Amino acid sequence: MYQQLAWILTVVLVFALAVVFLTIARKTARRVDYQPIQEKGYRIRKYWFISLVSVMVIATFFSLRDLPYHDATAAAATGAKVVNVEGYQFYWKLSQEEFYVGEPVQFNVTSMDVNHGFGLYDENMQLLAQTQAMPGYTNVVDFTFTKPGKYQILCLEYCSVGHHVMVKEIVVKEKGGASDGQN
Amino acid sequence: MAKTETTYPISRATKKGVVGHLAVAATVLILMMAFGIIMLFNQGGLITISPDLFYSIMTVHGIGMVGMASLGGAAIMWYFLCKYVPLNPKVLMTNLVLSVIGIAMILIAAFVFKFSDAWTFLYPLPSVSAKQHGMAGAMFFLNGVLFVGVGFLIMYLEIGRKIAKQYGGLMNGLGWDMLFGKSDKHYGPPAAVVASTMVVICNSTAILAGATVIIMSIINILNPSIVFDALLAKHLTYAFGHIFANATIYMAVVGVYEILAKYADRPWKANKVFLIAWNFSTLFTLMIYTHHLLMDFAVPKWMLLIGQIFSYANGLPVMVVTAYGALMIVYRSGLRWDMASGLMFLAMFGWVGGAVPAIIDATIVVNHVMHNTKWVPGHFHIYMGLGVTIMIIAFMYYYNKVEGNRRDHSWDRISAAFYTVFFLGLTGSFLYAGKISAPRRWAVHLPEWMLSDIVGGISACFVLAATISFTLRFFANVKYTRTANTTEEMVHDTTSLMKKSS
Repeated sequence: MYQQLAWILTVVLVFALAVVFLTIARKTARRVDYQPIQEKGYRIRKYWFISLVSVMVIATFFSLRDLPYHDATAAAATGAKVVNVEGYQFYWKLSQEEFYVGEPVQFNVTSMDVNHGFGLYDENMQLLAQTQAMPGYTNVVDFTFTKPGKYQILCLEYCSVGHHVMVKEIVVKEKGGASDGQN
Repeated sequence: MAKTETTYPISRATKKGVVGHLAVAATVLILMMAFGIIMLFNQGGLITISPDLFYSIMTVHGIGMVGMASLGGAAIMWYFLCKYVPLNPKVLMTNLVLSVIGIAMILIAAFVFKFSDAWTFLYPLPSVSAKQHGMAGAMFFLNGVLFVGVGFLIMYLEIGRKIAKQYGGLMNGLGWDMLFGKSDKHYGPPAAVVASTMVVICNSTAILAGATVIIMSIINILNPSIVFDALLAKHLTYAFGHIFANATIYMAVVGVYEILAKYADRPWKANKVFLIAWNFSTLFTLMIYTHHLLMDFAVPKWMLLIGQIFSYANGLPVMVVTAYGALMIVYRSGLRWDMASGLMFLAMFGWVGGAVPAIIDATIVVNHVMHNTKWVPGHFHIYMGLGVTIMIIAFMYYYNKVEGNRRDHSWDRISAAFYTVFFLGLTGSFLYAGKISAPRRWAVHLPEWMLSDIVGGISACFVLAATISFTLRFFANVKYTRTANTTEEMVHDTTSLMKKSS
C-alpha cells in the first residue's frame, strides 16, 4: 500500500511541479516592474508556507501512529513467537523457519559479522517489513503473516560481493496445517 | 540605506582553479555515467560482468559522483564568492591536487586491489574485507577519501576564515548580526556568502565525522583487536556521507542566485526570510542524516522521529524560499533563456522534484517498505542529476559566455532537451523499481525487475551522449586567460553578451 501511495504521490507532485515551472518559464518575455511582483509573491508565499506546514503536520500525525518499532508490552500481551535471526556473509540463520497465518512473530535480528538488512518479501516479491541487522545490536521486527505461502528474506544492506545471494526462504502455513503454501 | 557590497576582480589563478575543478568534474562525470550504464545493463541481463567487478564499479560510481558534484559545486561557489570575499587561489588549487590524488587512489583501490565495500564503507566491512582480500584495497580507498576530505577541509577553512574576517564573525555570514539586531542593515551579506557560510559549517562537520570513522576503520584493519561500536560508526558514516552529498547542491546553488539575478536584472537580496531559511537549512542539514538510520531500531526513538520530522522541515527552505524565489525572479522579468539561465532554472525544478520522493521516503512507515530499494537512488538521482549536475553544466556555459565570449549553439539546446527527457526516464525507472521493491545494490536482478533496469540503462545512454556533448563544448570553448577585470566590467560584459544573444 505504502509503495503504491509513494509512487502515485511522487508522479502527481513532480508533474504538478513541472507544470508550474513550465508556466513561469513561458511568462518571462515581457518585463514588468519587480516591486508589485515581490509584494504579491510574498503574500502568496505566506499561504504556500502555511499549506506546506499543514500538510507536513497532518502527514506526521497520521504516519507516526503506525510506527514499525517494537512494542515490548504489546508483543508480550499477544504471546508472539520469538524467532532469532542471525545474518552472516552471505546467508541467514533463523531459529525457526515455519510460521502460521495469524500468529504474531517477533524477529530478533542481529548480525554475526558485518551490517546486513533483514528484508521480508511476500510471494510477489513485494517488501513487507525490514530492519537492519547489526553486529552487537538486536533489532526487533514484529510481524503477523496474513496469507500462507513461501516468503523470502533478502539482504537489504550491502554486505560485500555475495550480497545478492543472501536469500532465505521461509514457509507460512494455515493454522492447523491445512495449507502447504501452494495456494 | 544598505551599504554597497565591495566587489573584487576574479584573478587568472582563480579562473585556472575553477576551470581545473570543472574539467576534473566533467571527466569524472562521464566516466561514472558509463559505469552506471554498465551496472544497469548487467542488472537488466543485457551484459554479464562478475559480481566482484560490479561491486567495485558500484563503489567507484558512488564516491565518484559525490566527488564530481563536490568539485563542480566548489568551482561555482568559489568563482562567485571570491567577488565578495578575497580568497587565496592557491587553496583552491590545493583542493584540486589533493582531490585528484584521492581519486587516483580510489581507482587503484577498486580496479587494482578489487576494493568493493561501497562508498559508504560501513564499519566493520572494510576490516572484514581486508582479512579476506588483503588490506591494500581498503587502505588505498580509505586514504583516498581522506585525501579528498582534507583538500575540501582546507578549502572550507580558508573560506570560513575570510568570511569571518570580512563580516566580523563566521555567523554573520548567515546574517546573525542583522537577525539579532546588532546591525541596522536591511539586508544580510550577498546570497553567495550566506550559502558558503552554511556549507563551511555543515561540510567541515561532515568531513570531521568522516575522518573519524575512516581512522577508526584504518585502526581496526591494522589491529583487529581494537574494535568500535558499529552503530556509532554508522552515525559517523552518514553524518559524513549525507551532509557531504547534500551540501553539493548548497554550493552549486550559488550559481542560481548569481546567474538568474543577473539575467533577470533583478536583485536577489538576503532579506530576513532568506536568512532565517538558510539558518534553518544549516541546522536541518546537520540533523537529518538520521533518516538513514530509520531502520536501525536500536537507535533511540526520539532520534528517529527527528529523522522524519526534520527531513520534512528541511524541504521548506528550498520550497518556500530558494525555488520560490527563482520562480519570482524570472517571472515577467524580460529574461532571455539561454543554456546558462535555462539550465539553472531547470536545476531548481530538479532540486524540488528530488525532494518530493526523498521526503516521502523519510516517512518512517514508508521507509519500512522502501528503504534500500531502488526508490532511494531514484530520489537522489533526481536531486544529483537534474539538480547539482545541471547547475554545474549551466555554470560551464555561463563561464564560457562570460570569460570566452562564446555563444550557445542549437546543438546545445538539443543536448539539453535529450538530457532532461532521458534523465526523467532514468529516474522514473529507478522509482518504479523501488515501487516494486527491487533492492538497491544487487549485482544480479530477478526477471521481474529487469525491464526497469533496461529502460534505465537505455535512458542513461542518451544522458551520457548529451553530457559528452556538453563537456566537449566546454573544453572546446574554455578560456581562463582573459585579463582579470573588475566585477563591474564583468557585469557590463555579461549584460551586453546577453543582449547580443537575444
